[in-house]
Amino acid sequence: MSADSAAPTRMSILVVDDETIVRESLGGWFRDDGYRVDTAESASEALKLAAERPYDVALIDIKMPRMDGLELQARLLEAMPDITPIIMTAYASVETAVRALKAGAYDYIVKPFDPDELLHLIQRVEKQRALRAENARLKQSLDEAAATGEIVGKSPAMRRIHELIRTVAATDSTVLIRGDSGTGKELVARAIHGASGRRYNPLVAVHCGALAEGVLESELFGHEQGAFTGARYHHKGKFEQADQGTVFLDEIGDISAHVQVELLRVLEEKQVTRVGGKRAIPVDFRVVAATHRDLSAMVADGSFREDLFYRLNVVTIPLPSLRDRIEDIQPLAQHFLGRLGSSMNKRDLRFSPGAVAALQAYTWPGNVRELQNAVERAIVLGTPPIIDVPDLPGSVRGAPALPRPRTLADVERQHIERALKDNGWNISQAAAELNIDRSTLYHKIQKYGLARPVSAS
Amino acid sequence: MPPEGAPAPVRCLELRGLGGLPRELGVELASQLSRRVALPCRLGEGLDDLTIPWMDERSQVDADRLLGLLEQRDLPPGTVLVGVTTLDIGNPIFSFFFGLAHRGGRAALVSLARLDPVFYGLDADPALTLERAVREVLHEVGHVAGLGHCHDNACVMHFASAVELIDVRGEDFCDNCAVDLPGSFGSGARHVGVNGS
Repeated sequence: MSADSAAPTRMSILVVDDETIVRESLGGWFRDDGYRVDTAESASEALKLAAERPYDVALIDIKMPRMDGLELQARLLEAMPDITPIIMTAYASVETAVRALKAGAYDYIVKPFDPDELLHLIQRVEKQRALRAENARLKQSLDEAAATGEIVGKSPAMRRIHELIRTVAATDSTVLIRGDSGTGKELVARAIHGASGRRYNPLVAVHCGALAEGVLESELFGHEQGAFTGARYHHKGKFEQADQGTVFLDEIGDISAHVQVELLRVLEEKQVTRVGGKRAIPVDFRVVAATHRDLSAMVADGSFREDLFYRLNVVTIPLPSLRDRIEDIQPLAQHFLGRLGSSMNKRDLRFSPGAVAALQAYTWPGNVRELQNAVERAIVLGTPPIIDVPDLPGSVRGAPALPRPRTLADVERQHIERALKDNGWNISQAAAELNIDRSTLYHKIQKYGLARPVSAS
Repeated sequence: MPPEGAPAPVRCLELRGLGGLPRELGVELASQLSRRVALPCRLGEGLDDLTIPWMDERSQVDADRLLGLLEQRDLPPGTVLVGVTTLDIGNPIFSFFFGLAHRGGRAALVSLARLDPVFYGLDADPALTLERAVREVLHEVGHVAGLGHCHDNACVMHFASAVELIDVRGEDFCDNCAVDLPGSFGSGARHVGVNGS
């Protein structure tokens, strides 16, 4: 029938009733409406059919010889937890309804059926199942997005970052992400949240450095009506908004001494008191903080509270600068070229060998963000499909090539230095990567006068 | 049970009154249908000899059994018998029907009881009742011609679970349904419900 061929795929329905007229009437009615319908005159026949093919909905008569409708419903649900059972009964009684619903029925209907009621019931089931399927699809895409992520790079340093993200995501520990501006601290925070058990709840980001002290306090902890001039309504703070989710505190090194005290209290007590309020509100959150500053140095000079530092610094993820992972520049640039090119309807773009060399030679003080901007600019100004050197920003075009090491000792020193940086100056891991023992590594550190940067933890 | 096999082309509609349908109502309905379908449409004698199968406990006609009796009547090939009654119809499973027909069957049954605004406590409106009856006959004959329900809510084959939806769905077959109508009933898409065409 052409009307049905133009229609969306409808649900499959199993009608189970020992009365022929019920099976024929309902079967015909649903078939006319484009549903796939099978009928069974007994519970055993229904189970046999269900073993052969899945059904979306089962309309089951409550009263049947041998196995009754409720037992059949239980068996069907056991075999197909996704099925939507609807119990049919000849007598409306509260007891029947309660029994059916308690046993897992979606609803029950009383014979004879009002066509309007039956239609609405089936439409409700259809909508609910569609929402359930959509929800499952969204969760899957969220899982996939969290798994692949936006964090591009296969250098040893980035492989370690991926490993760290996976490890800390499984815990509820506070995480401190350290890295220069543009290294992708927020991306890492999102990846941790996305891979954690909190991923279906909010990730609330606060850019602490961008807000004045009073505003930040109100943003973080909320305020009550009349707490200050202009506070006309009560306002939920970021911690409350992130209940059961994650709070991402970016540029945590920029918060004032007063906010540091308040923040420490919230982290310790896991409850917030709104500005101007008296009631402590319990909140379930996980904190991921980030900074480009050297917090340990700030603790040393007294500008950052030591107790807050230790509260935040449970697990540290040091993000390498782009210049320290040259091998990631090309894949990153390629990634941005694909993503940004698609959004601008420019597909199949590629870099010329000269452009790749220029990108790799540049030191990228603005890190990944600067690279992304440079690629975006090149797509806008360039002539597809090749992105060439003249399309790149002047600073990138004019970059002198990185100094080449002159001697074998230079090569060794640079290689050791990079391994130490990539492993956050963890001697055992760096030695393992270099395939030498720890004492040899200590000897070489001494020989080349390498020193652990103050900011490294 | 509906007969098996491909539906025979519909060549003629024969309306027959059931359960004491007023003759003038049958004449008006046949006249309206004649103006709207490109098929001969005639009003036969009332089927007063037919014993109406009742469901006493519900004061309703058992539509399944009545349709079964209509299906058994002897008719020339291609003629669809449309039984029209003012009695309320249902079956042991459904509390009411506006009409009933099997896909690919030979007969259709239409009840005017719930098409009449009086049934819902409103003032009588014979013109509206007649308009609804025309649409309901076209819908049931569509089933006889082999059509199922249509998802286009403006198509006459759209399922109406409430009387207002009969008013909403219109009197035309959508392009998809018109294509599938066999024989002269389907020649010329959408012609069936269009006045003067």
